[in-house]
Amino acid sequence: MVPPFSLKECEARAGPGTGPHPRQPMRRKNLEFEPLSTTALILEDRPANLPAKSEEEAQRHRQEYNEMVAGAKRREMKEAQLLVHLICPTCRPFRQRNTRRVRELWWQGLPPSVRGKVWSLAIGNELNITPELYEIFLSRAKEKWRSFNETSSVSENEDCGASLADRESSLDLIKLDIFRTFPSLYIFQKGGPYHDLLHSVLGAYTCYRPDVGYVQGMSFIAAVLILNLEEADAFIAFANLLNKPCQMAFFRVDHDLMLKYFAAFEVFFEENLPKLFQHFQNNSLTPDFYLIDWIFTLYSKSLPLDVACRVWDLFCRDGEEALFRTGLGILRLYQDVLLQMDFIHSAQFLSRLPENTPAHTLFTCIANTQMLSNNRRWNQVKTDCTRVLLAY
Amino acid sequence: MAKQYDVLFRLLLLGDSGVGKTCLLCRFTDNEFHPSHISTIGVDFKMKTLEIDGIKVRIQIWDTAGQERYQTITKQYYRRAQGIFLVYDITSERSFQHIMKWASDVDEYAPDKVQKILVGNKSDEEQKRQVATAQGNKLAKAYGMDFFETSAFTNHNITESFTRLAELVLQANKKDLDVLRVSINDKLNLAALEEEEGVCDSSSDAQKTCWC
Repeated sequence: MVPPFSLKECEARAGPGTGPHPRQPMRRKNLEFEPLSTTALILEDRPANLPAKSEEEAQRHRQEYNEMVAGAKRREMKEAQLLVHLICPTCRPFRQRNTRRVRELWWQGLPPSVRGKVWSLAIGNELNITPELYEIFLSRAKEKWRSFNETSSVSENEDCGASLADRESSLDLIKLDIFRTFPSLYIFQKGGPYHDLLHSVLGAYTCYRPDVGYVQGMSFIAAVLILNLEEADAFIAFANLLNKPCQMAFFRVDHDLMLKYFAAFEVFFEENLPKLFQHFQNNSLTPDFYLIDWIFTLYSKSLPLDVACRVWDLFCRDGEEALFRTGLGILRLYQDVLLQMDFIHSAQFLSRLPENTPAHTLFTCIANTQMLSNNRRWNQVKTDCTRVLLAY
Repeated sequence: MAKQYDVLFRLLLLGDSGVGKTCLLCRFTDNEFHPSHISTIGVDFKMKTLEIDGIKVRIQIWDTAGQERYQTITKQYYRRAQGIFLVYDITSERSFQHIMKWASDVDEYAPDKVQKILVGNKSDEEQKRQVATAQGNKLAKAYGMDFFETSAFTNHNITESFTRLAELVLQANKKDLDVLRVSINDKLNLAALEEEEGVCDSSSDAQKTCWC
């Protein structure tokens, strides 16, 4: 018997693509959709201890099975195409395409085969970066690496103060961090299939935005994009993603702005989970202790990778609000455990969430999190928080 | 709930990215070594209980991200520390030079009473050494700090350095410690000390045995 198919299941089956197993270094060339559900184990004949099916019956069952598979295939294709079609840039404007049906499908998690494409389109390309531009910055980065290697022995002994930020933003740190990015996957490490790619994307970015440079946490974001997109597309999505107000605030470590985000988060925290909010207050556990890690890496470090990808789906659908809503969803999910913990145990727990954090219960918790406070939505609350902070 | 420790304090690990702060900590608390550790974003936490002079000392260790950009964030945490490790990598001259910067930040942001020690990590990588032991000693002396060369890889001097800093913090808080000693001999007072770490955190000034 073939079970009914859904996008959710389709994702679960295709999990290894984004899950904790390294995928072969294959690239998605296009959006050809291959349903993954036709390989189910089918018991064609009856067990030997039972009377065999008649030829006619067997024939009928085979036909029924084929129809079910074909139907499931069609449904999967349709759903995937619906998602892709509805956000394709040449169609109607994004807002009109973002219908209820699409939002529902999107909520359930994007099928891995279209995930990268949908992310790309949702993130957009406000910066108008072309693949050619990426190549230009990449070759600049390579130039810098070359000259750095030649002169590094000299510059090592120079003053340590002034040019520190410059040097840091560049090369050593990237090199150092690449092998510390998803170390358990063994694909970004030296000799791994994605090592050079990650190096290239991060290097090109530091040349593209020398004022921002490389900041720890970026390697995780670039890595997740590389797992889902072609090199140049990954760079374009990366640069545009980091250019969003929330990411800019965090990666430039604009402390005042970060405080504004934390304050807004706390408004919804108190609203949604008053008991836990009070408990954290009593323990001096402020949101910076866990939100910094979560926001800087878009949850890719603290949640299992497949769950993190679903959070990214939501982030691409709903914007920065989704990130803070997810945070509250996590707190809701683990509220009972956290209420029993003191400062240090909570802080530890939140920076390394259980590896078996289940996507469906987390998403139920996220769904139960209302992003409405006194009739104010996230953006309004954030603006009001600025006023309060300025008043101090 | 029975109390599992007598005093609680916080130690902070500072130093450039990649000098091995997280590895030192993992070796100390879990006796593990992972050559490719996941990078630290913001701050991470571990804890361990030591017994020093018959006193159960619970230490919370705050492991910070080393990148300069993050210092705006991590500086906020200095004032909550009673002890600080300044860590460099003996195979990186640069990380050693930056100790001066780290030390001056500590002077500026940490409490006056804070205890510091200097740690030169990766002592197993002798063939790549760029900072002589004598240099480390000299700098530590100039700052009036103790100095250890450690290796998280071979487990060299790990327990020693952590225990030393814990002892220094205990000494520096001798007055509070004496209060505790009295209370240890007095069953009634000891019972009164049985409070949660959490409570301790939030009402630090009132708790003589917790120097938060």
